[in-house]
Amino acid sequence: MANILLDNLVKTFGKQTAVKNLCLDIKDGEFVAVLGPSGCGKTTTMNMISGLLQPDSGKIYFDGKEMNNVPVGKRGVGFVFQNYAIFTYMTAFENIAFGLKIKKLSEGDINKRINEVAALLQLEKALHMKASRLSINDMQKVALARSMVTEPKIFLLDEPLSNLDATLRNVMRAELKNIQKELRQTAIYVTHDQIEAMSLADRIAVMNFAVLQQFDTPLKVYNRPKNLFVAGFIGSPTINLLDAVYDSGDFILADFQNKKQVVSEKNRARIHDLLKQEKVVLGVRPEHLKLSDSVEGNGNELTARVVSIEPLGSKTVVYLKSDSDTGNVIKAIMGSDYRPKVDQVKTLNFREKDLYLFDKISTELVFRF
Amino acid sequence: MIKKILKYVLIIFVAALFFFPIYWMATMAFKPFPEWTAAGEKLYWFPEQPTLDNFREIFVRRTDFKTDISSTATGPIINSLIISSLGTLMAMVLGIMAGYGISRYKAGGQLPFFLLQLRMFPPAAVLIPVMIMWAFLRMVDTWYGLAIIYGVVTLPFSTWLMKTFFDDIPSELDEAAIVDGCSSFGAFLKVVLPLTKGGIASTALFVFILNWSDFLIAFILTDRKWGTIPVYINKLQSATVGQLYGPKAALGLLAAIPPIVFGIMIQKYLVRGLTFGAIKK
Amino acid sequence: MRTWRESNVSNQDSQITHTKQLDKGRLGLFFTLPAQTALLFIVVFPLLASLYLSFTTWSPMTGRGTLWYQAYQFWAWFSNYWNIITDSAFLLSLVRTVIIVVVVVPVELLIGLGLAFLFLEKFPLKKLFHSVILMPMMIVPAVAGFIFYMLFQSAGPVNAILSKILFVEITTPWLTGSVTAMICVMLADIWQWTPLMFLILLSGLMALPEDQLNAARILGANWWQRFRMVTLPLLKPVIVIALILRGMEAIKIFDAIWLMTKGGPGTATETISVYLTKELRYLHWSWVATAGVIVVILISFASIHALKPIKEQEEQT
Repeated sequence: MANILLDNLVKTFGKQTAVKNLCLDIKDGEFVAVLGPSGCGKTTTMNMISGLLQPDSGKIYFDGKEMNNVPVGKRGVGFVFQNYAIFTYMTAFENIAFGLKIKKLSEGDINKRINEVAALLQLEKALHMKASRLSINDMQKVALARSMVTEPKIFLLDEPLSNLDATLRNVMRAELKNIQKELRQTAIYVTHDQIEAMSLADRIAVMNFAVLQQFDTPLKVYNRPKNLFVAGFIGSPTINLLDAVYDSGDFILADFQNKKQVVSEKNRARIHDLLKQEKVVLGVRPEHLKLSDSVEGNGNELTARVVSIEPLGSKTVVYLKSDSDTGNVIKAIMGSDYRPKVDQVKTLNFREKDLYLFDKISTELVFRF
Repeated sequence: MIKKILKYVLIIFVAALFFFPIYWMATMAFKPFPEWTAAGEKLYWFPEQPTLDNFREIFVRRTDFKTDISSTATGPIINSLIISSLGTLMAMVLGIMAGYGISRYKAGGQLPFFLLQLRMFPPAAVLIPVMIMWAFLRMVDTWYGLAIIYGVVTLPFSTWLMKTFFDDIPSELDEAAIVDGCSSFGAFLKVVLPLTKGGIASTALFVFILNWSDFLIAFILTDRKWGTIPVYINKLQSATVGQLYGPKAALGLLAAIPPIVFGIMIQKYLVRGLTFGAIKK
Repeated sequence: MRTWRESNVSNQDSQITHTKQLDKGRLGLFFTLPAQTALLFIVVFPLLASLYLSFTTWSPMTGRGTLWYQAYQFWAWFSNYWNIITDSAFLLSLVRTVIIVVVVVPVELLIGLGLAFLFLEKFPLKKLFHSVILMPMMIVPAVAGFIFYMLFQSAGPVNAILSKILFVEITTPWLTGSVTAMICVMLADIWQWTPLMFLILLSGLMALPEDQLNAARILGANWWQRFRMVTLPLLKPVIVIALILRGMEAIKIFDAIWLMTKGGPGTATETISVYLTKELRYLHWSWVATAGVIVVILISFASIHALKPIKEQEEQT
């Protein structure tokens, strides 16, 4: 229940920059996912928000109040650690009660709150077990409960679901979202799993190498990725990226024996204005690629050879390589009963409006068809 | 910020407290006779006329002090070296084998804990019969007599320490060697033992320090011929001068060198050694 | 000895494992046999001889001309035991030992713990200070005793420093007063062995799970609350081991005392080891044998209880 403003946060460890000029504006009650590969700076950012680390420069504001000098225990923040950090020598009950005891709540209040949380998370049976005897799933719930029960304004979660088995992960994902909406807490959720981020977050902050790449809703991050990194990070299987050269209005595709990708009239002018140089990357997502056997002759076809197939039950992922055998593997998603054979040649079909145009040198998104 | 400075001052203070006695011995070793016991205000915090006389005294006789014992310190130093080394050797051989047996085969039954119990008995309580046995076998005041006792008394350390080092090596390696045609003893000798070289060295140095530092046992079991350094220091008196601060400090300084040097070398394993492997950093 | 390859593979696995286990038993014995033999001859046998002697009043003086195993000629049944248990010198030496251990060990633990906490953070020249603090442990205990003998002379450096600090001339004859001598002896032990506690506790502290402490911080716990509710429970196993180990060794305290006071003044600092050594030199051998037996029995009982934590830890691994 507080908005968070991060103003130009910088944190270095020796020669390594962990967080570089991070600016983030998180609204009250928003669920924000901080997404990125290992080492991108997301945990460091969390630690600075919670107060465990002091930024080298830059300011942190909760509801307009500067928090840089407020000590860790007094920021009204809840934190769930990746490894849960349960107090080993206490029972689950004592763990959850810890924060409340520090706040000097009465025993009655403590019991009431804990029972509520335990009911919510289905922890009643495990409440009086010693922490070391809890199952991993229960440990995660205790870690959550311990933070929740102090009713923090801001909830920080550092990859809390990564240690859980798959079934519970999905259940907990939904639970978490519900709890957050009910309690209307501002939540920041660190993860390297883009599916998690896409399904949970109101907005996603994508980070790479200490720099914030993009901060947008899941849809925008998917449809309008700011650069090649974001485009490649979001979406599974990852987006297909084709090197090309801009040549008087059209694109020469390097991977496809320099076949021409003709640009429709309505887009020619704008592209001509926006493009700064001729080396580009065209992107098309596997879910927008259709495979067929026949040639339709509308100039947008490219052919490629099947190299392998991944039947996933509800869908089939087909891996192909262009005839010339150079270039990257292309991925396409087809229906569950599509069963091509290896080395078969297929035609790739897609609509122009599914294309992304990136500047190869600056890696930025230039145009979305 | 102030907290940090205060903490640092505290550390300096404690370090100074720990260092001062050593400093006192080091400076005393180089003080000439008049500076030894100057009282009160005239106390010499630093030798004003540093001299090597004390060292000369213990190695070469200068009869100014008219000490009781006729021998120099060279003897005890050599004795300490020989006896400590041999005791270490014995403890290591027995301990390496026993440690391996306990680690791999859980052999020996209550042996490990008997060894721990052994460390709890005050030597003075259990040395009488050893003394008598040794006297009977004419092993009193001999290098082998004392070395054997040292081997036994430090056996708990060598056994437990080597056990933990063997524990660190997965037994799959033994089994792989056996599958390849080695005998069990061969696997031990040719495969596992070389891998524990570091552990053996550290344990040996640790045991050596213990033997080198012993006083009570040497005091009871040796005297003139094979007295070790601590025994000699205890005896170093003078009829004319009384307590011989300078020479004793000089010898103490010399005697302190091996433990300090070895101690620094095995710093990593000190905790493991002193806790019988209960705590491994 | 059959190796795995040579054994007939068509034979049941059980036969192979059976052979291996037989060999295992014998081999294990082979490895521990030398140590056990040494212990048998040099520890067990003498202990039994001690027992034998304790029932006699033999000593090299009274038994002139007889060898020790002929001590039965001086058979005295349990009279030694009775006399010892009521002997004030013996009993007091036990009491003094207990007093020293009970004072010295906790003090070393507390100072060591405080130091360990200080060493958790970074500060300039940390390695140097670390080495300096470890040095007292490396000094030969007899030499340490002599150093403290020098330090506590009435005209020595300790009095000189105290005089400077308190602006009053201090000439306490530390080593010749009963209580003060005891204090000096304790200080010598504390000086020498606090570094050990420091070392053990530091490795214990560094192994603490940082996340738990961070979680406690975020939940609002201050330093003392974190120490009491998180750090201390996690440190308990280490502390217990440190106490047991140090206690075990402290009972035997001898070297420094002998070099500083020889148990004096009078018997003020006469611990059990000092008492026994003196009796030994007076050639009261059967008396010492009896005392030895009693001490061994007492300590065996104590050790079973004290070593339980270590035993449990071993069985866990």
